Amino acid sequence: MKNTWKTYDTGPFYDELVTAAGKPRVAARRAVNLFKDLSVEEMSARRSAAEMAILDMGISFTVYSEGENIDRAWPFDMIPRIITAKDWARVSRGLAQRTRALNAFIDDVYNRQKILKDGIVPAETVLESGNYKEQCAGMSPRYGAWAHICGTDLVRDKDGKFYVLEDNLRVPSGVSYMLENREITKRVLPELFENYSIQPVDDYPSRLYSTLASLSPRERRRPCIVVLTPGIYNSAYFEHSFLARGMGAELVEGSDLFVDDDDCLYMRTVDGPERVDVVYRRIDDDFLDPEAFREDSILGVPGIMRAWKARNVAIANAPGAGVADDKVVYAFVPDMIRYYLKEEPAIDSVKTYLCMKEKDREYVLENLDKLVVKPANESGGYGMMVGPHASKTQRAKFAKLIEKNPRNYIAQPTLSLSTAPTYIDDKVEPRHLDLRPFILSGRDTWVTPGGLTRVAMVKGSLVVNSSQGGGSKDTWIVEGSK
Amino acid sequence: MRLLSRVAERLYWMARYLERAEDTARLLRSYTHLIMDIPAGSEPGWDVLLQTLDAQHSFGEHYRVANETNVLKFLIADHSNASSIAQSIRAARENVRTTRDVLPSEVWEHVNELYLYTEKHAANSVGRRNRHDFFDQLIGRCQMINGLMTSTLCRDHAYRFVKIGHLLERADMTTRVLDAGIGALMNEERNPSTTDPLVWASVLSSLSAMETYRRTVGPMVEGAEAVDFIFRDPTLPRSLRFCLGGIREELVPMRNNRNALRVINRSRRSLSRFDPQAAGRRDMHRFIDRFQANLLALGEEINVAWFLTDQA
Repeated sequence: MKNTWKTYDTGPFYDELVTAAGKPRVAARRAVNLFKDLSVEEMSARRSAAEMAILDMGISFTVYSEGENIDRAWPFDMIPRIITAKDWARVSRGLAQRTRALNAFIDDVYNRQKILKDGIVPAETVLESGNYKEQCAGMSPRYGAWAHICGTDLVRDKDGKFYVLEDNLRVPSGVSYMLENREITKRVLPELFENYSIQPVDDYPSRLYSTLASLSPRERRRPCIVVLTPGIYNSAYFEHSFLARGMGAELVEGSDLFVDDDDCLYMRTVDGPERVDVVYRRIDDDFLDPEAFREDSILGVPGIMRAWKARNVAIANAPGAGVADDKVVYAFVPDMIRYYLKEEPAIDSVKTYLCMKEKDREYVLENLDKLVVKPANESGGYGMMVGPHASKTQRAKFAKLIEKNPRNYIAQPTLSLSTAPTYIDDKVEPRHLDLRPFILSGRDTWVTPGGLTRVAMVKGSLVVNSSQGGGSKDTWIVEGSK
Repeated sequence: MRLLSRVAERLYWMARYLERAEDTARLLRSYTHLIMDIPAGSEPGWDVLLQTLDAQHSFGEHYRVANETNVLKFLIADHSNASSIAQSIRAARENVRTTRDVLPSEVWEHVNELYLYTEKHAANSVGRRNRHDFFDQLIGRCQMINGLMTSTLCRDHAYRFVKIGHLLERADMTTRVLDAGIGALMNEERNPSTTDPLVWASVLSSLSAMETYRRTVGPMVEGAEAVDFIFRDPTLPRSLRFCLGGIREELVPMRNNRNALRVINRSRRSLSRFDPQAAGRRDMHRFIDRFQANLLALGEEINVAWFLTDQA
């Protein structure tokens, strides 16, 4: 029998399931032992079963290439990532705290701007950023909640500690895959569940429903909730449809909605117009309302901002929430937590150097070979430089860019992303991963137990995006040893 | 259950395209048989099919000669023809893809399989050797999807618009099948008495109505009787009367249905007044034209009342 784990070597990184000495971590012991007992044939049979399940369940994401949309099967690795409930409790508390502070910040920025006046966060970095939407000034949504659905990216460094890499406050996606991954694991490795008590994730759609329902401007037993999608060609369409079905909500496109003279939002049904209470929108601010933002948007709903400001409809996430989703603002989140909540941050951010500060800039320019430099207002890894992997010319180019426009750049130390055992060909090998939990904020705050673990399937790679060959894993939060 | 206008429209068109593909296959299958039965030299041309499907114009843009190969290629496999079988299936699939939320998941799976089948086989089913198999497969698969929806969909708005789409397209295609028969006869003036029964039998069999006709009307197939049966039999699922009745039944409980019902009632009246025994072939052809115009008007009323996104 060929042992698929024989050559497993964690290298210099923190491994989620295996210690540096090569022993399974306590919480992972049963799982690792079970996998070690499986032959290559059995492992491959399970992998095929997982692939079949993915096809059957129609779990896909859309890739747009050469003018055609291709539905790709969701890439999945069957070895779960296991985190103890004790570890998770701390992370979860930190995430809830962070999200509360971020919401307080957004609410403040669009109203009294106390934090800017007190000089905690420099006013111009906020107010001059493209993420600040003046159309939202003076609004204060229910419960002061703006970022109702927040997807926070976490990584684990060499020291085994979780760090927040970024807060996604606009339209974060991935939660449906978190749920589907659990479904697949149940089908493919049912015996694993006998030895563990794993916190369930499948109540997410009903939690999301309660969060959204709590925002309804009308007190009704079942408020009318819709999921607003840009349509079938969006890469996350599967998720939009999945969540709508999971909540029993209507999946709508911009053309299904209109705002009437009474400043209320309606959807067009075969029985006539029906008033909508809450819109879970999965399109960006810029496309939301051609009257308020981009005029050429055909995805949005003319007048929806009017209806929102008249408090006749709730929009989640609230327009303008992206003001706190910015790499410069990110650096101030620990200060926000202290300022609004009078607490110490329970989860760390990555040390961030702001090139707009003279001292930071000097440090960055001297240490370009050690740092990751990112533009403040880009997402998805565009226009960034990874110092240790960059050429001399690239570093020189970035030095110039920084000196020319310091406010536009931040730098962070290069992190060593943790790894987990991943089944590649017929061997188990370490692969780097991150974690995206989801935090819901409405009347209450709620954090998913675990989240979506994304894996860079290519050896040594740190790119976890599914559009670029990334995969995913089921993420388990397990109770103490049983 | 509430139903978005956009979703209703897509369900309706999914049904129409599925029905169109199936009925085109039925028409082409029986027409191929008919041509084989008629003595060489006196068989009607393939251009009759283009006329009955109102496709001469777009055919002329892509082909010069209306021979068997060109006509069948155009009607079966040509994606530039919006009503070809391959294109209808593709359009049906696109409509299901965006309405998966309101349909049982098997519907998507089977429509997707049908699409993959058609994409693979349509082009090489133009020749006589593979044609028959292709039609049988296609009709069978469409029937399975219909059966699946009939046996799983709740009788709510979603089902209603699927049913209306099917029946409206079916009524239209039934008139075209008849028209093709009449067209074949008009082309053939020399020996009507021997060809007549063959044509009408072909028309009936393409509507899966031959056996019922024999048991209800009699074993001898005769023109006026056959037309009367296909137009007005209340129990035959592909008769015009049956289709109109079914659509009406679904429209009655709808809001905003006045104009659509008016067109339906008008069609029903003119259908019951029409007398096939007294009508010549040209009268039939004219009646069919008028009837098709009514169906078009009905489609437009449905569009205005329930789909057009302009309710504000």
